[in-house]
Formats: sequence, structure tokens, C-alpha cells
Amino acid sequence: MTGLSDSGNPVAPPDIPAGDLPEAAVRRLQSGAYSSGLSVPDFAACLELGLEPVALVQGFCVMQWAWYGSGSGYMRGMSPYTFGSGGGGYSETYRCPHGFVSAEHRTWGQNLEQPWVEEAWARGYGTAYTRMIEEATAQGAHGVIGVVDRIGTVADTGTTEFHFLGTAVTVDGGRPPAGGVPWSTYLAGQRLTKSIEAGFMPVAVVASLASVRVWAFCVTEYLMEGQVGMGWGYTGGGPQLVEQVSKAHMAARQLARKHVRRQLVGDELHGATIDVATRELAQGDEVIDCTLRGNRVRRFKDFDPIAPPRPTVRLG
Amino acid sequence: MTDPSARVPGPEAHDLPKDAAHRLEELEHGLFTSDLSVNEFLLVKEAGFHPLGFVMGSSIYHIGIQTRKWGESQELTKLTEAMYTARELAMTRMEEEAEELGADGVVGVRLDVNYYEWGNDSAEFIAFGTAVKAEDGNSYRNALGKPFTSDLSGQDFWTLMQTGHVPQGLVMGTCVFHIAHRKLTQALGSMGQNVELPNFTQALYEARELAMTRMQDEAGRLNASGIVGVRLEEKSHQWGSHTIEFLALGTAVTRGTGEVTLPKPTTIISLDN
Amino acid sequence: MSTSAPSAPDLRAEMRKGAESLATAAPPSQERGITSDLSVDEALLLHAGGWEPLDLVCGVAVVSVPVGVWNWGRGAISLASDAHNAAVDQAATALRAECGKVHGHGVVGVRVDVEVRTHHIEVALVGTAVRPAHGNDPRGRDAAEAMPFVSDLSARDFTLLLRAGWMPVGLAFGACFVYAPRRTAGTAMRQSTQNVELTNYTEAMYSARESAMERMQTSALEAGGEGVVEVKVTEGPMSFARHAVGFAAWGTAVRLVADEHQFVEPELVLPLDDAVVAFEAQSLRGAGGKR
Repeated sequence: MTGLSDSGNPVAPPDIPAGDLPEAAVRRLQSGAYSSGLSVPDFAACLELGLEPVALVQGFCVMQWAWYGSGSGYMRGMSPYTFGSGGGGYSETYRCPHGFVSAEHRTWGQNLEQPWVEEAWARGYGTAYTRMIEEATAQGAHGVIGVVDRIGTVADTGTTEFHFLGTAVTVDGGRPPAGGVPWSTYLAGQRLTKSIEAGFMPVAVVASLASVRVWAFCVTEYLMEGQVGMGWGYTGGGPQLVEQVSKAHMAARQLARKHVRRQLVGDELHGATIDVATRELAQGDEVIDCTLRGNRVRRFKDFDPIAPPRPTVRLG
Repeated sequence: MTDPSARVPGPEAHDLPKDAAHRLEELEHGLFTSDLSVNEFLLVKEAGFHPLGFVMGSSIYHIGIQTRKWGESQELTKLTEAMYTARELAMTRMEEEAEELGADGVVGVRLDVNYYEWGNDSAEFIAFGTAVKAEDGNSYRNALGKPFTSDLSGQDFWTLMQTGHVPQGLVMGTCVFHIAHRKLTQALGSMGQNVELPNFTQALYEARELAMTRMQDEAGRLNASGIVGVRLEEKSHQWGSHTIEFLALGTAVTRGTGEVTLPKPTTIISLDN
Repeated sequence: MSTSAPSAPDLRAEMRKGAESLATAAPPSQERGITSDLSVDEALLLHAGGWEPLDLVCGVAVVSVPVGVWNWGRGAISLASDAHNAAVDQAATALRAECGKVHGHGVVGVRVDVEVRTHHIEVALVGTAVRPAHGNDPRGRDAAEAMPFVSDLSARDFTLLLRAGWMPVGLAFGACFVYAPRRTAGTAMRQSTQNVELTNYTEAMYSARESAMERMQTSALEAGGEGVVEVKVTEGPMSFARHAVGFAAWGTAVRLVADEHQFVEPELVLPLDDAVVAFEAQSLRGAGGKR
């Protein structure tokens, strides 16, 4: 099927709900023969499960981080300069214990969650993911396996791109999930088989970003610069924990977990990966971005633990 | 020319720094440490041994200069001696730590050479492994009454014991060789031809033979019946490409006493990748 | 390692059943979903060993290093060593606190990330909190509630040790920084042509390495361990100060909880396949990753 009529003239593609898919994607999906991102062993394993690959699907989105301009966090009343939580997220304040005011001495500091960053990221991730799922739905798929996601910044442009790739499949003798949206998983092949055997059905790949900004106060600033004596930072009484920064790191990871948990709605997250990136700004300030990704799965039968495996020693 | 493979007199018995002594004391009071993986730990136990402690020996050695004739292939005996002595020092100190713990032997020995920027022509030679002791109360020390050393992994150690052989010691032979540069006429003469380069062949042959012979001599001194797991390493270290150190390493073994029936292995074809 | 012979479940039926569970809308769940970073294989092994994952937990500590510490001196750099050890300690304490909050008995598969910078040392620990699925903690009821264990052993190694009657009790760690000693010009000249051991260097490096190992041992004893397995010793000069060398030794402290060591009796196998490179029909940016 090549989109040509019997007379050789191109015909309009049949009416598939394309959503906001680019034209090129619509044309590719119509070509008929499927492509899949599966390796040969993975392909064999998925046939074993009764999964039939239907198409290679992808979704893509580039997001720009903007402070100003319409649609930005700033214009919607969020600001990094508010006291307290501003956007309703995590925040913790630190006050100078020295009783001393000067232009150089930062008497006040804060750990602040940055919901505008998190929201922009979630939107980018969600949009790219939705586009991939739309491509799959257009093909009548029940699920998408072997999802590969790539999140990267295009250098120095202040933009982040989100790219999803996966293999859309149908379940032999099965139906799509309630609501018509295909399920998805990072797994493919043997690992997916084991997961199904163990009684876990993939629901979706989920991910979240938590972004915490550290506005250092005087003690943190001096400790991060190793200032000794003067009573400002290091007091010589043994190693000094930099409480503000440590707490910020913990918070970033805990928040990422909290955001993901909200998306689980009682299901479980398996095979999670945590990636943490810190950007150090001057004078002890930094931004900590923590991304948590994993497979959301639901138990569909009682769990049957496998028998303890036999230990072996290989010769050669 | 002195035979570089002759054992140099080792350092004094209590040559170890005081920190080592303190650490070993802690180990003698019941705590064990080991760099064995969990797999290796379990297999060492299966073989009837128990780990005592992680033992180390090191020496920072300065390698002296040796002049050489540009056009002749020859062994650089001074360098050979240096590489040998430095490793011996590291190994001996490691053996001392093992002896301090009352071990029967050391498994998983690794010999490393580290270069630091601040040392010209000097390198740190380190030997480390896990000291073990037999649980059946018999002594497994070697013919010289010292704990055996071996670079066998936990898996190989277990497999070896299954065959009824016992390690005696890590044996090594080393030879630092200078490969002659070819004269211009020689190089031009053979340009573009498929031809054997006799001086290279001869040089590399001789160097490897020297290294292996010295290794076998060491095994002989231990009254071993054979050497397993022989590895031949060739490195230029920091000397440039015409000077190569050939290092032959292996574990000398003897047949143990007692009847041993070899277990029959199951053949499998694994279908996963 | 091999798994037991599969009893050939009907995979297609299982897959259909799974898909069906999503086709009927799920009842709203009140349960708190667990998050775990174990791979499928590890999760199955953990369950086979009678334990279950609870939650992904983390502990992070940033400790300050006073300025001037890295300037050339003599001997051990105790301020830096203390800072490093304190950072690991604090991070482990934070990790255990998180584990306690979800009623976990310990944390396995801990990934240890250490960054040593000029003015601070950062240690981040991430792992999965676990507890026995049914039945009791082999350490005994009181021990389990008092102090969750922290271990960088994978879930696989954890279950293997359990079978043999051992349990991890904590992360054993020790660090020591040392200055590379200077030689006087006269000594340097004299030594430049000789094969000779540089005794002051040897002493310094030896001392630092032993010191790191000793601290590791002490931390193992404090955790109530009888031994330490999987000891790793890392060493190297600091990127920002090449004359300062850092040594770190860590491993998992373990204790025998059964009456005696349980032998595993492994089977010798002789695989008949060659090491083949798996042919990939389409390799998109490499494998799909560990999920």
C-alpha cells in the first residue's frame, strides 16, 4: 500500500486521528510493512508472549525554558524571588545566626523547589510520550514495548529535547486497555517475559523531575568555600556537615519519588533509575535536578516466587 | 652478569609499617576481610578454607638508568633486576602480612604497577590478595614453610582443589629486553617485501624464553609438579617502544595427598546472551 | 547462573490475562505504591529468597573541607580524611532513617557516589529498602528493629549470602588522604641512576593505605560484623591537587546468623556454546537499558 490510487495518482490518506502528529509521521505509519526496534532475541521473545509488532513509533518534543513571555512561570505569578513556597512546593528557610548585617553577609537563605521548571519538564516529557502513544493508537496497537527515551539539552540554547522510541504491539486475543490508550514499558524480550510470568502487567513508563534551588545563606557559603576560623564557617570542632545543601539533595530525590508516586495511583514502580545533575552557580548556590524514571506495573495475579536457582560453576 | 632471577635477600621480618601491624592485630581477633566477591567467598568456603584478611604489600621503587647499544638486541639486566626486586619486595611484604595472620595461603593475588606524576622513573608496585586458612586443621603451606600465594580467582581455586592439586606459590620470571633498531640500509632493503625480520624474531624469542625459564626455575625451587594459569605480559612501561618487559606469571601446584574423584560436569547449552 | 528448568507456563495466556486486567478499569487503590530500582531478575531472586522490596531510599551528605588542607604538607591529611569518613557516616545515617520510615529491615544494592572537591566532599547513597516477606529477620527480632543494614551488595549477592547463612550488617568504609613526600635535591640526584626503593614514599603510601583499611575494619566491627566481603580499594591523586593521594576502602560487613555456614554445593557445568555476538536486526541507540 503506497498511497497511490489505481490510476497512479496519489490519494489522500485515510482518515486516521492524527492528533498533532507531523505529516511525515502520518505518511510513514501508513506504509504498511512494520518496522520494529527489537533485536532478534527480543523479537523472538515477544512472539512467545503472543505479542505482534505493528510499527516502530516515536514521539518528540523540544521545550524552551523561559522566564518571561507568555506561558512562562513568571507570567503566571510564580517567581523565584518569593518568600516561602511561592509555587506551593517544598521550601526551607535558613537564617543567619551571627546577628550581623552587611552587604556581603547573606543573612537569609532558602532551599526552594522550582515547580515552574518541573512543570515545563513534565509538559515536554508528556507531550513527547503522548505523541508516541498516538502513533501507536493510530495503528491499532494495544501496547508499546522496548521504549527508549532520550532527554537532552541542545547545547547553550536553553532548550531540552525529549525523544521517545518504541515498538507498538498487539496482544494476540487481547484488547486495548480501558480508555483506549495503549500501555507501555521500557522492557522487551526476556525481561518482559519474566515480568509477565511473575504476575506484573506493564501500565506505562513514568518519569518525573524534581528541581531544587539552593539559595545559600552565610554559613553555607562559608562552609562551601572552606572558610576556617572567624567563627563564620568551620569552627575547628571536627568535620562540618553542610546542612542546607545536604537537605536540598535529599529533598530533590524525595520529591522526584513523590511526584512519580502520584502518577502510580497505587500501582508499583519497577526498575527505577535516578539521575541527578547539579549546576553550581556562584557562592555556594546550586540547582539540583533529579530525574526518576521507571516502569509502572500492576499485579494481575498472585505472585508465584520462582524456586531458588541452582548455583553452578562454569568450566571454560 | 649476575643472574637476576636469584632471590634477593628479603627485607627484615618486621619491616611492615606500624599501621599494618595494628590492622593485622584487629584481624587476628576474629574479624576477617576479603576482596573476594560473594561468589568467590562461597566457593572458598566450599573448598574447605576460610578467609582471614585482605593482605597487601607495596614498594615504591626508582628504576635506574641503563645505557644500551642502539643497534644491538640485548637484555637490560639492570632494569630486569629492578622490576624483579620491586615486585619481590611487594610480594614478600604481602606474604609477611599473611604469615602474621597465620594463613595457609593467599588467593586472588593481583600485582599492579602504578605511576604517579610526581615520581620520575619511579613506580609503585603493589601486591594484594586475600589470606585464607584451611578449616580442617591441616597445614597447606608450601615446601618452604610459607603461606602459598596464587593469582587464582576463588572459582579457579575451588576447581583446582577439586582436581586434587594444591597451589604452592605465585611464580614469576621477568626480562627487560631492548630490541635493536634496524640500520637504515637494512630497513630500505626489506621495504615493501613480505619477509621475516630475523633480529626482531630472535630478540623476542630470547626474551620470552628467558622470562619463562626463570618462572620455571622458581617453580622448581618450590618442588612443584607444574604451573597452571600461565600469563605472559608484555609492557613497555615508560621506556618507549623498543624496550619491553616480558613478565611470565603463573601458579605453581603440586598434587595433594588423598583420593580425589573428579565430579563430572553437566554439559549445558545456554540460550541466553 | 542458571535458573531452575521452566515448567513451560502458557505465556500467551498469561499475557492475555495481563492485558485483560487493564481493559477493565482498575478500582482506585488506596495502597502506597512501592518504588524500587531492582531489575526484573533481581526482584525475582529477592522474592525467591523470601524478601520483598519496599521503597527506593536515599541518603546524601555534603561535608565541608577547610581551605588550605590540600597545600603541600607532610604525612596524612587528617582533616580531609575525617571529612570523608564523616560524609559517608552521615549519608548512611540518613539512608537508614529513610529505611526506618518505611519499616524496612535494610537497604540493598546501594549505589555509592562520591565526589571529592577542593572545599567539600559529597556522598550520595541510593538503594532499595527491603524486608522479609513472611517470617522473621534472621538477625532476630530486636536486631532488625534497631538498626537497618546498609549494603552495596546487589540483591542477587544478598540472597546468595542469605542462603549460606550470612547477613549483611552494614557498609564498611575507610578513607585516608596523604601528601606525596618530597625528596631533597641531593637525594633526588643520588637516586636518579640507581635501582633503589624510595623508602619515604613507600612508607607514606603504605601508611595511608593501611590507615584506610583499618578504618574500614573498625567501622565493620562497630556495625557488629564478623567479616567484610567484596573489599574494594581505590586510590589516586586528586584532580585538583596532584600531590595529594586519596585511598578509600569499602565493602559489606557481614555476620553469620545461622548456626553454621550452609554449604551451597555448586554444580560444575560445561557450556557448549561459543561466545557469539548477538545479531541485532535494528539497534537503536544501543540496548533499551536496564529497566
